[in-house]
Amino acid sequence: MKRLWRSMPLRLALLLVVLFATVSLLSLAASYAYSRSAFEQSIRDDLAQDMAGFRAAPSARAVSILVQAESNETDPGRLVLSYVTPSGQIYGNGAVARDDEGFHIISLEAGRAELEGQYLALSERLYGGRLTIARSRAEIEALRPVFLNILWISLLPTVLIALSGGFILARRSQRHVEVIRRALEHLTGGDLSARVQSGPRWSDDLARIGSAVNGMAQAQERSVAALRQVSSDIAHDLKTPVQRVSVRLEALAEMVEPGEAADLVVQTRAEVSGISATFASLLQLAQVENGALKAQFAPVDLALLCRTMVEVYEPSAAEKEQRLSVSGAEAGLVSGQKTLLSQMIANLLENAMRHTPPGAAIDVSVVQEGAYVILEVRDDGPGIPPAEYDRVTQRLYRLEQSRHTPGNGLGLSLVDGVARLHGAVLSFGDAEPGLCVRVRFAAA
Amino acid sequence: MQPQPGAAISRIMKILVIEDDATTGTYIARGLREEGHVVDLIDDGRTGLVAATSGAHDVLIVDRMLPGIDGLTLVKTLRGAGNTAPVLFLTAMGSVEDRIGGLNAGGDDYLVKPFAFGELSARVAALGRRPQAVEQETALHAGDLTLDLLTRRVVRAGQELDLLPREYALLEFLLRRKGRVQTRTMLLEGVWDLSFDPMTNVVETHVSRLRAKVDKPFDVELIKTVRGAGYRIDG
Repeated sequence: MKRLWRSMPLRLALLLVVLFATVSLLSLAASYAYSRSAFEQSIRDDLAQDMAGFRAAPSARAVSILVQAESNETDPGRLVLSYVTPSGQIYGNGAVARDDEGFHIISLEAGRAELEGQYLALSERLYGGRLTIARSRAEIEALRPVFLNILWISLLPTVLIALSGGFILARRSQRHVEVIRRALEHLTGGDLSARVQSGPRWSDDLARIGSAVNGMAQAQERSVAALRQVSSDIAHDLKTPVQRVSVRLEALAEMVEPGEAADLVVQTRAEVSGISATFASLLQLAQVENGALKAQFAPVDLALLCRTMVEVYEPSAAEKEQRLSVSGAEAGLVSGQKTLLSQMIANLLENAMRHTPPGAAIDVSVVQEGAYVILEVRDDGPGIPPAEYDRVTQRLYRLEQSRHTPGNGLGLSLVDGVARLHGAVLSFGDAEPGLCVRVRFAAA
Repeated sequence: MQPQPGAAISRIMKILVIEDDATTGTYIARGLREEGHVVDLIDDGRTGLVAATSGAHDVLIVDRMLPGIDGLTLVKTLRGAGNTAPVLFLTAMGSVEDRIGGLNAGGDDYLVKPFAFGELSARVAALGRRPQAVEQETALHAGDLTLDLLTRRVVRAGQELDLLPREYALLEFLLRRKGRVQTRTMLLEGVWDLSFDPMTNVVETHVSRLRAKVDKPFDVELIKTVRGAGYRIDG
C-alpha cells in the first residue's frame, strides 16, 4: 500500500485532483461573487424604483396613506416600509431604530421584535418626513447553499473518478513494473532464460522497457552460452592431456624402483591431481554462476549435511589437532542442490582449518531464525580484517597473510557463487577472536 | 600394469569402449584386457553407435565428447532403441550439472578425467553385476560374520560387535558388494552420499576404525585393502 502511494500514476491523479478542485473552487467563487453583486444591484435598483414611486405622491399625507396601504399587504420579512411624518407619526410595517450597535429594523407588530436577517435600505427626506424602504437580502443569502450544492455536485464525482482511475492505473502499472522487476531479479540471480512477458494492456513505455530488458537478457544469454562452450572446449582440450599425463605417470609408478625417482613420480602425480582439482573448481564456478541448476532444487536438510561434512573433515582436523564441532538445530530445511551445498560446507570447513593454527576450535551451526535458516562457521583463529571482507570472495584472491598456505583462492568464490545461486546471503563477521562466516538462506 | 587383484574373481565381460583420445582409449582397453575382458575400442561416435546397437556388449564405456555423435546423444539414442546395456560415462567436465545430465540421458555411472585405472575397473565390475533382482535378504554374511539388516546387529564368531552408525553403513555397503573392490570415491558416494571428493582421509579413518572392531580381535582378516584401488570383503 505504501509503495502504491508512491507510484507515479497515483501521484499524477492526486495532483490533477488538487489542480482541478482548485480551479473549480476559484471559478465557482468568482461566479458566486458576481451573482451576489448582480443580485445586490438589482435590489438597489428596485429600492430606487420604489422610492421614485413614493416621490411621485403630492404630499406628506399622500405618502403616509400610500405607505400604510402598501405595508398592509407586504411581508416585513421581504420588504419594510416606514414613513415618519414631520409631526413624528410612524406609518408602515417597520421602523428603523438606532442603538450602540448600529441600525436595526424592528417590526411594528405587537412586541416590536427586531427583524431577523439583513436588509438593504434606502432612506430619504420627503415632505419634511423620512421615508425608509428596506428590502431583505434573503435572496442573496439563498445563493450560498445553491453554490455550495453546485460545488459538491460538480466536484465530488470528478474527484472520485480521478482518484479511483488513478488508483486502478497505479495498481495496473505496479503489476506491470512488478513483472519487469521479477524478470530482472531472475536475471540477476543467474537465470538468464527469464523474460518479461508483456500483455496487450501494457502501456507503451513499460512495454518498451520490457522488450529492452528482454533484448539485454538475450544478449547476455548468448554470450554466456558462448563462454560456456569455450570453457567446455578448454576443459576437454586441456583435461584430456592431463588424463594422458596421469595415465603415463601411473604406468611409470609401476615401473620405477622405490627411491628418488619413485618419490618424484609421487610428487608429480600430486601436482597433476592439484591441477585437475583447480580445473574442476573453475568449471564448477562457471556452472554455479549460470543458474540453470535451479531447476534441480529440492528440499535439503542443511543441519544433516553439516553433520556429515564435519564427520568427513574430522580425521584431517585431528591431524592438525583442531577440534570440529556441530551445534544448533537438529534440522534446517532449505531448497537447493545437495552436492553444491555439501561442497559449500566443505569449502568453509577447509578454509577454517587452513587458516587457523593447530589447537583451534571450529564450530559449524545451523539455526532457524524466523523465515531464515542460518549456517555459521566460526573459528577462534586470527580472523580477517573487516576491510578484506568484500575481497575474499573474488576469484583467486588471497590475503597477504595466507600467501603461503595451501589453497587456490577459489574456495570462498565458490561459497559465494553457491550462496547466490540459492538466493542466500554470505557475510563475514568477527567471532572475537576469529572469523565467523554466515550464510543466510530462506527456509524451505 | 599389474592385473588388479580385485578383478580376478569378476566374470569375463565383453566391453565396448568409445573414446576418441587414443592414449586414454588404449590405456583403458589394455587394462581391461589384462583383467581378462574382451574389449572393442572405437574412436568416433557414429561407428560407436553402430557397434553398440549390436547388443553384444555387457558394459559400454562412453566418452561424453566424441567426434560425429557426442556421447550423450549416443546413449539417448541407444536407450530410445531399447538397449539397456549398462553405460559408464567418461568426462572431462565433471560438474554437477554435467553429471546429472549424463545420468538423465541413461548413463549408469560417471567417471571424471583424470581417473586411475583401479577406479575404472571397480566401476566396470560394479556395472557388470548391476542387473540383479531385488533380494529379500534379512541378513548379510561373510565368513563367520553376520549382519542382521532388521535388528542392525553385527555378530562375528558368536561375539556381538558394537558399531557406530557410519561404521555399520560402511560394513553393510561392503557386504552387499561382496567380492568386488569398492574405491574411495565409490564409498564416499555410497556411504557418505557425497558426489565429490573432499580430499580428506575420512574413508581410510573409518575403514581402520571398522577394522579395529571387525578384524583386529579375530584371526582372519575380512576387510582387504586392494592396493591402488580400494577395499573389498571376500565371501
